[in-house]
Formats: sequence, structure tokens, C-alpha cells
Amino acid sequence: MTFESHGRSVVALDRISLQVHAGEFLCVVGPSGSGKSTLLRVVAGLHRQSVGEVRIEADRPGTPLTAMVFQEHALLPWRTVRDNVTFGLENRGVARGEREARAREMLAMVGLARFAQYYPHQLSGGMKQRVGIARALANDPEVLLMDEPLAALDAQTRAIMQEELLRIWATLGKTVVYVTHSLEEALLLGDRVVLLTARPGRVSHIYPVDLGRPRGLEVRASPVYGALLETIWSRLREEVVRAIAADRGADSGAVRE
Amino acid sequence: MSAAGRRLADRWIAIASPIALLAVWEWASATGLLRTAFFPRPSTIAVHLRDLALDGTLWGHLATTLARIGWSFSLAAVLGVAVGLAMGLWRRLREGLDPVFAAIYPIPSVLFLPLASFLVPPGEIALVVTTAVTSFFLVAFTTTHGVRQIDRLVVEAARHYGAGGWRLFAAVLLPGALPYIFSGLRLGLGFALIVVVAVEIVSASRGLGALLWLSWQVLKVEDMYATFFVIALLGALLSYGLAALRARLLPWVPDVGER
Amino acid sequence: MGVAVPAAALILWEICSRLAIVSPRYFPAPTTVAWTLVDRLVAGDLAGDLLVTLTRLAFAFAIAAVPAVPLGLLMGMARPVRDLVEPYLAFIFPVPKITLLPFLMIILGVGEPAFVLTGASSAFFQIVISTLAGVQTMDRHLIEVGRNYGAHGARLFWKVILPATLPSIFTGLRLGLGLALVTLVAVEFIAAKSGLGHLVFRHWQMLSTPEMYAAFALVGALGLVLTRGLRALQARVLTWQEDIGV
Repeated sequence: MTFESHGRSVVALDRISLQVHAGEFLCVVGPSGSGKSTLLRVVAGLHRQSVGEVRIEADRPGTPLTAMVFQEHALLPWRTVRDNVTFGLENRGVARGEREARAREMLAMVGLARFAQYYPHQLSGGMKQRVGIARALANDPEVLLMDEPLAALDAQTRAIMQEELLRIWATLGKTVVYVTHSLEEALLLGDRVVLLTARPGRVSHIYPVDLGRPRGLEVRASPVYGALLETIWSRLREEVVRAIAADRGADSGAVRE
Repeated sequence: MSAAGRRLADRWIAIASPIALLAVWEWASATGLLRTAFFPRPSTIAVHLRDLALDGTLWGHLATTLARIGWSFSLAAVLGVAVGLAMGLWRRLREGLDPVFAAIYPIPSVLFLPLASFLVPPGEIALVVTTAVTSFFLVAFTTTHGVRQIDRLVVEAARHYGAGGWRLFAAVLLPGALPYIFSGLRLGLGFALIVVVAVEIVSASRGLGALLWLSWQVLKVEDMYATFFVIALLGALLSYGLAALRARLLPWVPDVGER
Repeated sequence: MGVAVPAAALILWEICSRLAIVSPRYFPAPTTVAWTLVDRLVAGDLAGDLLVTLTRLAFAFAIAAVPAVPLGLLMGMARPVRDLVEPYLAFIFPVPKITLLPFLMIILGVGEPAFVLTGASSAFFQIVISTLAGVQTMDRHLIEVGRNYGAHGARLFWKVILPATLPSIFTGLRLGLGLALVTLVAVEFIAAKSGLGHLVFRHWQMLSTPEMYAAFALVGALGLVLTRGLRALQARVLTWQEDIGV
């Protein structure tokens, strides 16, 4: 999959050119305002980019190109867990039997088989997020997009979910583009880490992550991890500082006027 | 006291208190502490209620009132939801109609009776139309609000997963607005009762409101109280009946604890 | 857009009435109604009835609000009080308050007290319920913070509980005022010999439709001014409240 894009009226993204390898787990990090989420939305087709294109090689016709996992789960509150998972399939006219089978499978994979008939308001934040993941997986997309899916969770739930994600991805082997604020998380989960600059977001660097697969939380203790963290963080830190300074600069600029 | 014990105590107070009040009232009226011309004994009221029920008067009036409520509420509900949805979906429509609605809504429904009598043949139809007006606005308002308060992110996600056009409306917008539509319908039904009774007092010869007013005019106080009781019972049934229905129809809504 | 639709409707009405497409007897032209309105206001009799309605409203509102707010607060803070009063509230709330009129007229005679009290009853229940809801839905943490920083008893009430409940109280007062007006005008329509509601009735009976519509418009305007005005006032006074809602 390739995309090139240029942002919209406020230049959110500037000349991004990125190639994602099939079956890889690509993480995108950057300071606030670097347009990480915008990038994902462009790929998902939720935003229209002003210049450039997104190309996704569809190996399997009939399956959707992308499916997104949103940060605030965005489940339909009036549908049960199972009906939320089958929503995309319903819209594509998939037969009931197959829909339900797929839902069962995905719910089992995220560990929520028991909760199929529950309503979202009865679930915790982590559980709701897992339903969101199951929904995306059930649609069997070419590319799985995840927009800071664990950001709204507390640290402990987050750690558990990270392990879950590693396990699920190891089983299914999908192409994933994963946006996150957390560098630790990006290194833990990803095959490559893309660092974006402060607004307008450009690709600053791309770092391969040589931490082997299968992976578990224990990689965080490894020296390779530590070194990568150091390297990328010093760069990221620069960008974050630049982003904050830009905000402050905008303030004082207005005052001077 | 444990929580369960507490709840049980609450229940008992809720039942015992009105009974105690009735007992005190009965005693006070019987001993002349309260003037029976104003506050007849509850036992006498009960007798009159029974008589009204037995000779059919009560049922006739009750049926008339119920029919009127039924017709006007149906009218208000169907039109209200339709217009409310339209206004929720199309901004232009909403901006155009909003000020008109806001101006008309606070006007007491009975005042529309003259207008209705000019527009449609006077009598039952004018009555039903008058009653429908306020309920219509209530339902329309709440429906519109129900559509507009749906989380944008949920709509976006639904679109992303392939729901568009009609499907988006039927599977997302409508269910999303349903809790509010339901509240509006419940309020509208309550108002339908209020206005029907008020209009019956003004200009009808049949119906619970008319019965109340007629009883007053001939100073049959016991009948007044009996009729009042029936109206109150009807009001409670409509209001709380719908509330119970809500739990069935809208299982996904967490208990809001509203009345 | 907001002005266009009503303006268009009025123009249409004007044309239809002038051209006798609709009966001018039953639907006098808006300009005629407007003229009558101004005329009667200047002459003073319309203003007189307006004043009567407003006075009744003021009394009804005061009679309702003064006991209702403390009762609501008390119910919210003391469980036993709530348990005791709630069944009666629940019973009376869905009842059309207009039905209280004949009872009040028997006890108090056909006159102002009965009219005003009927109007007050509408407002009373609304205010109690809103105030109670305000206490029940206030952020519990605020009480803990208050206690922690040395506010107890009366001080806790005045400095924490009351301000926190104020938005709901205000909303209840606003809604209550609107309800009182609606009920009062209906009472005037039915039973009184003065007031805007009565005017609409009287002119309806006499088929002096311009006057009827003029009174009608005045009622609408009154309702609008009160609700919008109070809403603006609420936004001003309670500057910390984010969204007033309906």
C-alpha cells in the first residue's frame, strides 16, 4: 500500500510518501498536531486529501480495503456486542449464518465470547475497545487501521491489551497501521516505526524495529529496545518541543499584533 | 439498617403514608373538623365512585376521553416524529421552522380551540386537533434533539463500516434518536391528557373533564372527587405505564432515573 | 432563514384574507390584527387585561416558588422527607392541574385566590422536582471537598450545596413560570372575567376576531419573552454553567 498526501486548508500533512509492506505492523508516532490521526483517516477514506493518492493492493476482491479501530470505540449503543461486530458485514450483505460465525470467531479471539448479548453500556472501557477490534477484524480488511486504540485505557488494562494485540496479530498476520502517542507502545508492537514532524507533519524518519517475533512484554527489558527508545525519543523530543514552541509562538504573535 | 431493609422500609412508608392520610381525612370529616361540603369523607366518595361505575356514567365518559386522547396523540405522534426527524436531518428546515415552533409552543392549548373551530368542523374534530397541537410540538422538539445529539463519531464509524443513505437512517440515526423520541412521546401523551381534560371542561358535554365541570356546576362534590380520582389514575397509568414499556423496548439505555 | 418562513406565512395570510380566499371574518388580515393590537393597547383596556394576567402570574409564581425550593432541597438532603413526600408528588404530577380549579373554587369561591392557586400548583410541582433533581445529580465530590476544607452543616449548605444546585433550581423556576402562565391563561379562558385568556374567550364568543387574535398574539409574545428572557438571565447569572439546554 502506498500513500502520498498533502493536507487540507490548515496544512496538516505535508508531502507524506509512505509505503507499507504486506503483513507488517507499522506504527506512526509524532508530537500532538502532527497529523497522525489525519493520516489514518485519509487512508480510511474518512478525510479527503487535497493532493495525492492512497493505493491499496486488493489481494482479495470483495473484502473491504480498510477497517478502523477508533480511539473512543465508537460502538453503536443500541446494538448488542455481537450485532456491533457484524455491523460492517450486514452492510455488505453477508449472509446471516456466515456473519454470526465470523462474529463468534472474532469475539472468541478477543476473549469476549461470553458477552455477545451484552450492550456496550454494560462493558468496561477495555472491553468496549476489544469489541471495536473484533468489529474491525470481522470485516477482514486488507489493512487494519488503529487510531490510538489504547489511549483511553488505564495503564494496567493497556498493558494487558498490548499483549492481546501481539497475540492476535501473531495469529492473523494482518497489515496494520497503528497510530500512537506512546513511543514505548510503538516499539513494543511494531515492525517499523514512522516518526512524523510537528505540524505540518512530514515523515522525519523511519526506524526498523529488530526485536524478533513472537514478542511479549519482556522485550522492554532488552538492550535493543532501550537503544531504539533512546534514539527515537531524542528525535521525537525535538519535534515535541518544536510543536510546543510553535503554539507559544502563535500566542505571542497574536499579542504583538 | 441494611440497604435491602432500607428499601423495604421505603416501600412501607410509600404505602402507609397515603393510607394514614386517608384515615385521618375520614376521621376529620366524620367528626366535622373538616367541612364535608369541601372535603367529603373518603368513604362517601368511594360509594359515589362505585355508583358512577355501576350505572355506566363513568365508563361512558372515560371511553370518550380515552378516544379523544387516542386520536389526538396518534395524530401528534405520527406528525411529530416525521417532522422532528426531518428537522433533525435537514438544517435548513430546522432553521426555518424553529422560530415558528418556539413562538407557538408556549401558547396554552385551549386557546387553539377557537382557531380549530374556524378551520375544521366544530365538535369532535376541532377538539382532537386542538389537543394534538401542543403534543405535536413536544414530540417534534424532542425528536429533533434526539437526532442531533447522536455522537458524531458513532455516525462516522457507521459510515466507515459501510452504512450509507437509507441504511444509515434506519440502522443508526433512528435507533440513536429512539430514547429521546420515546421521552417525547411519553411527555406528549401526558400533555394530551391534560389538554383533553381542559378542553372538555371548556366546551364538551361528554368526557371526564366535562363530568368534573358538570359535577361542580351542580355542586355534587363527591362526584367531583370521584372523577378527579379517575383522572389521576388515568394520568398515572399513562405516564408510568409508558415508563415501564421503555425498559422493554429500549434495553440498551441505562437507567436514567427520570420520572 | 429564521425570519423568512414566518414572514412568508404572514404575507400569505395577508393576501388570502384581503382577497377573501379565506373568510376575513374568521381570519382577519395580520395588518388588521396588528392595528387592533396597537389600538387596544393605547386605549388601555388591552393593557389592563395584560396587567391582570401578569399580576396573577407574579402571585402564582411567588406562592409556588417560595415553598417549592426549600421543599425540593429538603427532600434532596433528607431521605425520610423524600420518602414521605414522593408518593404524593408522583400521584399528583401527571394530573392536569386545571382539574384542581373546581375544587379550589368550591373552597375559596369563584375568584382570584382560586385562579392564582391553580396556576401556582402547576409551577409548584415542577419547581420541587427540578430542585430535587438538582440535589440528587450534583457532583458528590464537591461535598467531600467542602467537608475536607472545613465546611460543615449550614456553611456546607450555603457555600457548596446551594450553589451547586442553583442551575437546576433556576431551570425549574423558568419551566415553572412557563407552566404557571399556561395554566393561568387556561383558567382565565374557562372561568375568569378578566385577563388575556378571558379576552380570547370573550372575543371568540362575540366573533370579534381581530381582537381575539390580538389577545392571542399577546399571550404568545408574553410566553416567548418570559422564556427567552429567563434563559438569557440564567446564562448571565450562572456564568459557570455550560449548557442551559431547553
